Amino acid sequence: MNATGDTWPWRLLLAVILLGMAAAIWGAVQKIDYEWRWYRVPQYFFYKAEDLQKAPFDGQVSAIDGQGRVTAVTVTSAAGEKAVLEVDSASVKVELEEEVFSGDAVGFSSSWKMGPLIMGMWTTIWISFVSGILGLIIGLLTGLARISKNFTINGLAAVYIEFIRGTPLLVQIFIAYFFVGTVFNLSRNVAGVGALALFAGAYIAEIVRAGIQSISRGQMEAARSLGMTMPQAMLDIILPQALKRILPPLSGQFISLIKDSSLVSVIAITDLTKSGREIITSTFATFEVWLVIAAMYLIITSVLSQLVFYMERRFAVSD
Amino acid sequence: MIKAVDVKRIFTGRGITVRAVDGVSLEVAKGEVVVVIGPSGSGKSTFLRCINGLESFNSGHIYIDGVDLADRKTNINKIRAEVGMVFQQFNLFPHKNVLENLTLAQIRVRRRSRTVAEEKSRQLLVKVGIADKEKEYPSRLSGGQQQRVAIARALAMDPKVMLFDEPTSALDPEMVGEVLDVMKQLAREGMTMVVVTHEMGFAREVADRVIFMDQGKVVETGTPEHFFTSPREERTQLFLKQVL
Ligand SMILES: Nc1ncnc2c1ncn2[C@@H]1O[C@H](COP(=O)(O)OP(=O)(O)O)[C@@H](O)[C@H]1O
Ligand SMILES: [Mg+2]
Repeated sequence: MNATGDTWPWRLLLAVILLGMAAAIWGAVQKIDYEWRWYRVPQYFFYKAEDLQKAPFDGQVSAIDGQGRVTAVTVTSAAGEKAVLEVDSASVKVELEEEVFSGDAVGFSSSWKMGPLIMGMWTTIWISFVSGILGLIIGLLTGLARISKNFTINGLAAVYIEFIRGTPLLVQIFIAYFFVGTVFNLSRNVAGVGALALFAGAYIAEIVRAGIQSISRGQMEAARSLGMTMPQAMLDIILPQALKRILPPLSGQFISLIKDSSLVSVIAITDLTKSGREIITSTFATFEVWLVIAAMYLIITSVLSQLVFYMERRFAVSD
Repeated sequence: MIKAVDVKRIFTGRGITVRAVDGVSLEVAKGEVVVVIGPSGSGKSTFLRCINGLESFNSGHIYIDGVDLADRKTNINKIRAEVGMVFQQFNLFPHKNVLENLTLAQIRVRRRSRTVAEEKSRQLLVKVGIADKEKEYPSRLSGGQQQRVAIARALAMDPKVMLFDEPTSALDPEMVGEVLDVMKQLAREGMTMVVVTHEMGFAREVADRVIFMDQGKVVETGTPEHFFTSPREERTQLFLKQVL
């Protein structure tokens, strides 16, 4: 078989299998008689919010300036004070020269707002990002500590890694929020981000340690033989090479972190997962919402994968 | 320039004791070229690594230009900057191009400006005959070219002494010559050199002195002529019979 030969039969087979699986799922769903309500989902991405615009003081409507969809209503008080309120043309509730009192409805203004799905996704992104950066710093320092010849530093790092890797993240989040958070008076966001960062840091430390140890001893010796100090050699020679090598496992760790961040919903942080649960309580569109949530996680993680793929190619210039 | 007095390096581990360097004394004058030969495992590399502090030693003294390495107050990084080292495996920095390989330590250790460092590097690249490869990464170079870059990298620090640990052993035979030529030129220019090698032709041509090591000890010292014509010790004769 020629390796460079046509691959279309295999592509076709792949498409057939995927379609077959989709059909099977569809068939299974038909059996349980579920009523799909996709139309309920979009409003949770963006929705139109209507704000009641009220007269700020007693006075008279001195001008109504309608331009298309928006109308500017000017209210003038007895003292000559003026206020311009912009409302939707269809919602104007006053007429020219009409007397209005402070608090009277003049009309509604509408604007697009981000719904809970977008807000939840944003929360998931920033929580993952901040704890990822912190985890990277913690992991780097702990990884260096793990290769240190100092027994105390090495031991501390080993205990930390052992503790984190030997206990469930869910339990760590509970401890961070209910125990540590209570003692040190931490907000739920700090506790959640802290727990995720410490969790990721322990795994990143092991990745970093393995990465540094995979760089041949000769690199360090060459750098030292030129008179570079240990920190200089680490920063300029060892870490850049190690980073390139650990990029794939590191990106895997960050993807895990994004997914694991869904666990912070248990301490009432409204991330993507918690938003999903809240939407379901008001729509009962269980299937739709979870499928949408899954797709949104998939989008975040695949953007990250693409980013790493791009970085890998950048790094490959010296190969 | 280099003075080693009764240097011992003993490795212990898993119940085994290896006396890698077992009481070596050696003096190398300024401008002298000393070639060290000896069978594998005789402690040549370990001794060389002791001279620039890559390996610590258990007892004895090594003075570089009068500064004692065994003294705790000695700044080892300063010494290393004065002692260039060329490795069997080149050990170029693979993530940096040729020019960056040469400039990095000049900038970090010698605190030269980038312009000055690059100028110096280009001169050295011309000297070792690879001026046209300054933007290449080491992986794109042949072994001989890589080793010549490594020599230039060490020279860029303006070292007082150059140490070579089997610089041609990892090379394909057709590339050995180009590296030896660079080393010969260095020797002629008056560089102080300690060279571990099995290239007896090189020893004959440029060495002022040859040292034969076995089992961590210096067995015999003499001129190249002495080794080629009338080696005294039986172990030396046996070894030379294998390499010549
Ligand atoms: N880091 C080390 N730990 C333990 N033994 C070592 C170490 N480095 C070298 N040795 C031992 O010291 C002896 C001398 O090694 P080396 O100096 O590399 O010899 P050569 O360069 O002459 O071949 C060998 O027996 C080697 O196994
Ligand atoms: Mg050796």
